Amino acid sequence: MSSPIRDAMANSDVLLTVGSGGVGKTTIAATLALRAAMEGTGSMVCTIDPAKRLANALGLEALGNKEARIPDETFAAAGLLPRAPMHAMMLDIKRSWDDLVERRAPADKREKILNNRFYQALSTALAGSQEYIAMEKMWELHEQGKYPLLVVDTPPTAHALDFLDAPNRILDFLDNDAAKWLLTPALAAGKFGLKLFNLGGSYVAKTISRFTGTETLQQLADFMLNITSLTDSFRERAHQTRELLQAPSTAFVLVTGPMLERIDEAVYFHTLLQQNKMRVAAVVVNRIHAPVPPQLWDEVARMSGPLQAKLEQTLKENDLLATQDAKGIQRLRELCAPTPLVLVPRFELDVHDLKAVWETSRYLWGEARVDAAKPAR
Amino acid sequence: MIAALSDKRLLIVTGKGGVGKTTVSAALALESARSGKRTLVCEVNTKERVTQLLGKPEVGPEVTSLEENLWAVNVRPEEAMREYALMVLKFESIYSAVFENRVVRYFLRFIPSLQELVLLGKILYHLREKRSDGSFRFDRIIIDAPATGHAITFLSVPQVIIDTVPPGAMSSDAAWMRDLLVDRNTTAAVLVSLPEELPVNETLELHQALVARVKMTPQLVVLNGFIAERFTDEDAATGSELAKELMHGHQGRAKLSQASRATLSKLGLPVVTVPRIFSPDFGRAAIEQVVRALGDPT
Repeated sequence: MSSPIRDAMANSDVLLTVGSGGVGKTTIAATLALRAAMEGTGSMVCTIDPAKRLANALGLEALGNKEARIPDETFAAAGLLPRAPMHAMMLDIKRSWDDLVERRAPADKREKILNNRFYQALSTALAGSQEYIAMEKMWELHEQGKYPLLVVDTPPTAHALDFLDAPNRILDFLDNDAAKWLLTPALAAGKFGLKLFNLGGSYVAKTISRFTGTETLQQLADFMLNITSLTDSFRERAHQTRELLQAPSTAFVLVTGPMLERIDEAVYFHTLLQQNKMRVAAVVVNRIHAPVPPQLWDEVARMSGPLQAKLEQTLKENDLLATQDAKGIQRLRELCAPTPLVLVPRFELDVHDLKAVWETSRYLWGEARVDAAKPAR
Repeated sequence: MIAALSDKRLLIVTGKGGVGKTTVSAALALESARSGKRTLVCEVNTKERVTQLLGKPEVGPEVTSLEENLWAVNVRPEEAMREYALMVLKFESIYSAVFENRVVRYFLRFIPSLQELVLLGKILYHLREKRSDGSFRFDRIIIDAPATGHAITFLSVPQVIIDTVPPGAMSSDAAWMRDLLVDRNTTAAVLVSLPEELPVNETLELHQALVARVKMTPQLVVLNGFIAERFTDEDAATGSELAKELMHGHQGRAKLSQASRATLSKLGLPVVTVPRIFSPDFGRAAIEQVVRALGDPT
């Protein structure tokens, strides 16, 4: 049987899962990596803050910010025998930022940057910093070329595709015309201070100060002066990341739930990805309620008594959920055409062990389908 | 109003993505308004959904009356920034001269968390706002807050600013906001969860983070989508394989609902359950059902 996921995997060395929070994106990312390994393609799945149970299932409990191979025993316990190694890592945002500064900043600037309060906000709290570091890591892992397939689970975003924009945003911060205009005289003079803001227009500086306090500008200026030493590497990386995201060997797997409010978000993601010239291999609709098998209606119709009433009630509820999902899927199919849809049923229990991950992969691989005749177990 | 919340003026509703925060916010707001409290329900820079659930037209960034005692707003950064700047700077002319300057825009964009601060600031400003007779304009404000990780970031912003930004208008505003958020007599966090393993675990983590990092006091858990037991074991042994499978499925979900409630009870907070609502068009009628469930805790 053909499967768009299978095709995408054959033609790609980077797969990114994208979608809004709570749709099972991390599970799908793990599923892709597992399936690749089972089929003989060594894989690495890079996630941010995955659900603990999934991490445990992958044997990742004790892991920090580094790559680890899923132990053979973990697979054996699930009755699986992968033909290539599978690796996984959890990204620690703060640690990754610190590593980046330590690797790239000139020795005399490192401490100054790491201790600056703006840096600390940037590396932990600033919107976009997670997304940026995830893109950095993707590029780095790809560059190392150790893994034939790299699966990157993007952070759950509040605002659409923050991660696409993140490298540009960081660059914007460092490489903005306004910033240059403010910084250039200072760089030339080899010193920097509020004098600069006098050059830049004291009225403006004074008014901002009323807002933020005078020292804030001073500290921000210091931070910028130090971090400017990284601008070139940020710029280079933003460019490279963008190229990698648009490369023909990179594909996106958009994950969504079948509920209408999720569908609208998914369509929006899909549009944005296409506008950005990114290839969407498939839209995975996760946790679909399977339709009620017709013979069950017949059986219940022949019954009587309180059990019949309870069963009928249950069938009606399940039917309502399945009908709603079908409507959502129809809408998605129309609005995302010609991108193929891959349907994954709702399992009675959360997917959090390798066996369940494997079972999920059979739907991605086209070996099992959401079937009207039989509800998913 | 649920006892744990009845004397609180600020309710912050949060939880994992997709658990029904907006549904619960809308229901709490409706219930609050009906109890005679002048209530404002706020969404934070998102696709507006509260008004639709309540069967009303969209309101956008202006505080708008929906029905007796009930107002709604979707706070957005541009408008909030302008309002905030005008409050600090007092004069419109200065605002345009300064804030439309490209250098200033640049700086404002990168001052850490200023955007979140003004969003939160606008909401909390409404909490302090008074009418001419000296009474509060709103007796109660309900925030449909962002999902877990973003909620922690959002609610930590005043503290981050206090720690990052030296004294000035911004940091003194951050200080009163922080004080208001951590004041357990005024403010309550409401944690919304679903009877599934991952949302329940995330609720426990969220509780921990709110207490440890934001120093807030969650006061209620709403377990949404609760499935009550329906089939006995005897039932589940009757009929065809398909029928048994259907009943086992239901039993499994009911068991998970029970187990989720038990796990969440360990937080030591009241846990209110809201039954799973099956409705072809999830709107006002469904919200009324949620209101009844919240008013009649089982």
